[in-house]
Amino acid sequence: MTVLAVNPDDSRQGSIACVGMGITLGSHLTPLARSHIETADVVFAALSDHLVELWLRRLNAEVRSLQPYYRPGKSRMKTYREWVELMMTEVRANKRVCAVFYGHPGIFAWSPHKVIEVARAEGYRAHMEPGISAEDCLYADLGIDPGRVGCQHLEASQPLFFERQLDTTSQVILWQLGVVGDRSLGRFLTPDAYRELLTERLCEDYPSDHEVIVYRAPTLPIDGPYIQRMVLRDLPRAEFTGHETLVLPPLHALKPNARMRARLDALDAIHGAGAGSATPA
Amino acid sequence: MRDTVELLEAIGRDATLRHASREELAKVLLAANASAGLRELASGGDSTTLTKELGLEHMHVEHTSQTGGHEGDGHDDHHHHHPDHDHDHGKDDKPAQRPDDGADTPPA
Repeated sequence: MTVLAVNPDDSRQGSIACVGMGITLGSHLTPLARSHIETADVVFAALSDHLVELWLRRLNAEVRSLQPYYRPGKSRMKTYREWVELMMTEVRANKRVCAVFYGHPGIFAWSPHKVIEVARAEGYRAHMEPGISAEDCLYADLGIDPGRVGCQHLEASQPLFFERQLDTTSQVILWQLGVVGDRSLGRFLTPDAYRELLTERLCEDYPSDHEVIVYRAPTLPIDGPYIQRMVLRDLPRAEFTGHETLVLPPLHALKPNARMRARLDALDAIHGAGAGSATPA
Repeated sequence: MRDTVELLEAIGRDATLRHASREELAKVLLAANASAGLRELASGGDSTTLTKELGLEHMHVEHTSQTGGHEGDGHDDHHHHHPDHDHDHGKDDKPAQRPDDGADTPPA
């Protein structure tokens, strides 16, 4: 293996890298994210499994868990703002900071985006490294290719809080089922009645016997994915731990766009269609 | 007894073990002198013993607000966002005390 070295920068300036730990312990951490972790002065951690946090502590002894800032009944937005301030305090102290989040640090995570914005506004180096997300695992485990009919990803509460149009010709994927309908931001699992209300809303667009999938990606490499198929009306009786995602497969076939196809016919008549016809002017 | 975290990392990065059957995994863990808790979890899914062995605690996984609903993080700061009052499209990025913030302070 080739090892390269850079001259250490004596004029220390604080920086932050937000990286993803991936979902499954030992399987998903990228070499670059690992390097950020191992070379940081301080590592903040918001992970999904205590065992993964224990693993992280093997990579860097200066790990500070962000978990203790959660409290039942306390708005999570307050917690997330506290996280940003904790991280920025170290950046301002000219530390090389790494913030580690499970999955991808930029997906369904407020504080990584925010801390990068704040750090840059104050003149510090800040960036994000992608990680393998639960969405990535879902595609692999359920055999879904988002390029085929498309995927509409929504936080599960949005169809309840807002007039969202569900695209029933695509895969509709709803995240954070465990806290669906919680406007207090102080709960970690809403009662089943909230998922009953979501089911009622979904039944406005889908028949109650439409087959849906409740999915959970494995955090430990000794586990497989949790995949439970059921009809939509049975959703409230599914097992929920707070980590689940709902997949609604397409109800309708894609409808051809006759108007645009006619326009494409006209363009093909001018420019040709097929190999060798796209010669630049 | 082998270190549980090391064993899990080794399984996670090994193509022959990551998708091994429970029976195969049980044999490997026994041969590797894995802890009783890890062997129990790997074979039957019960984490009680492993939780005691390592003092494991439940982790919260919600890292974003679900009461937003608009693009842009300004709305994620709105705790009591109600569709009926959906007129405020302004940014609100400054941390501020909110009615539901509570007075509790996390440990340092």
